[in-house]
Amino acid sequence: MAQAGNAAAFEYLYQLHSRRVYALCLRMVGNPADAEDLMQEAFLQLYRKIGTFRGESAFSTWLHRMTVNVVLMRLRKKSLPTDSLEETLEPDAENSGPKRDVGAPDLRLSGAVDRVNLERSIEKLPPGYRTVFVLHDVQGYEHNEIAGIMGCSVGNSKSQLHKARTRLRELLQEEVREQAREERKAAKTQTGSLD
Amino acid sequence: MQCKDLAHVLESEGLGTLSAEAREHLASCLDCQGLLADFHSIVAVARTIPAEVEPPARVWISLRARLEAEGLIKEPVEVMESASWWESVRAVFRPRSLAGATAGLLLVATTVYMTRRPSSVPQAPQPVAVQAPSAPGPQTPANFGASPWAPPATAAVATRTHTPAALPSKVKELAPSPSEMASSTLSQAEMDLPDMQLAGNSRVDASLRENLKTLNEFIAECEQHLKQNPQDQLAREYLYTAYQQKADLLAAMMESGRSEH
Repeated sequence: MAQAGNAAAFEYLYQLHSRRVYALCLRMVGNPADAEDLMQEAFLQLYRKIGTFRGESAFSTWLHRMTVNVVLMRLRKKSLPTDSLEETLEPDAENSGPKRDVGAPDLRLSGAVDRVNLERSIEKLPPGYRTVFVLHDVQGYEHNEIAGIMGCSVGNSKSQLHKARTRLRELLQEEVREQAREERKAAKTQTGSLD
Repeated sequence: MQCKDLAHVLESEGLGTLSAEAREHLASCLDCQGLLADFHSIVAVARTIPAEVEPPARVWISLRARLEAEGLIKEPVEVMESASWWESVRAVFRPRSLAGATAGLLLVATTVYMTRRPSSVPQAPQPVAVQAPSAPGPQTPANFGASPWAPPATAAVATRTHTPAALPSKVKELAPSPSEMASSTLSQAEMDLPDMQLAGNSRVDASLRENLKTLNEFIAECEQHLKQNPQDQLAREYLYTAYQQKADLLAAMMESGRSEH
């Protein structure tokens, strides 16, 4: 019906998928105004191309692929030169294994991770990592679905997720260290003022 | 198994069930225990982030306008339920005609009202807001005081006193837009209602008045929305439809035979 330009069908599709698409955009760009804009763009593309949907994949996968493309395109335009998307989307043969903080003190995060600092850290991830992490760990998609959405292999999706988690761990550890430094500084100041 | 091997296992197998070999390594490696525990913490917190978030209603309104502009939608759309500001009147305001036709009908209804109205009845002059062309939409607090979106009276709105019979010439003099004229005329018609002494205890009248109140609130909301988004054709269409509904309603109230005049 939507393929024939049926208005009610358009609205039905929107109502069915908008919450999930909006959440994805929101996690990807981190601010509601951009998320609204991107979601609108994604749905607009969907409706423009709906006549070409042949049902080879699930409709939601098709829509999410379109959304991810729209978001990544926007992020690519905005991204800094050091933040190459290609780097984050293609597995790096030399560094395919996870990085470990060799020699660094083991800093456990348990108890130190909350939604606020995790969301802040997610925003710092490179776009490719961020997409896979949000799709898998936040939205609950399986690797084969993510592969369909991202147009990559299942192995690539797994690799990206692992790297994303590893990077998030580093970012969160940095945050914990920063907090500890701040606390020490504050304690020192307090002690100084008492003397 | 070494640490890097365990990392490869975590990458390819995820955080689920680990092989005996991996478990054996974990039991003796504090670093890998820390890595796995941190991954579990991250995933646990990530799962508390909502996977679905309700977008603001304005996204659909704007999207729908773009779909209509591009001709992707080939018929009028019903307003979605989550679009709260349209919601209360969606049943009443299903688009029945195009804006131009609506404006035309409205003018006909207004003319009928003006010609049928008994001119010999003495009436106390009512203050009516006659709007300057630059200030579209009715803005008299008397009309829209019930609406939380009612804009305050501004310097652009000149309050004048005149009889309804003088209204057409005033309207012509100021050369307002059709919507301004419709709004002004309807406001005048509404202000005349108290003089018509509708049977206040009638359930029908109460219902008519309730509908009128809802209409006024909706009109005020449309006008406010159009002030902020003058290009929103859909809101404009809804506004014209609302004017038409109000003209119909006022005509019904006047012609219901409940007037004592």
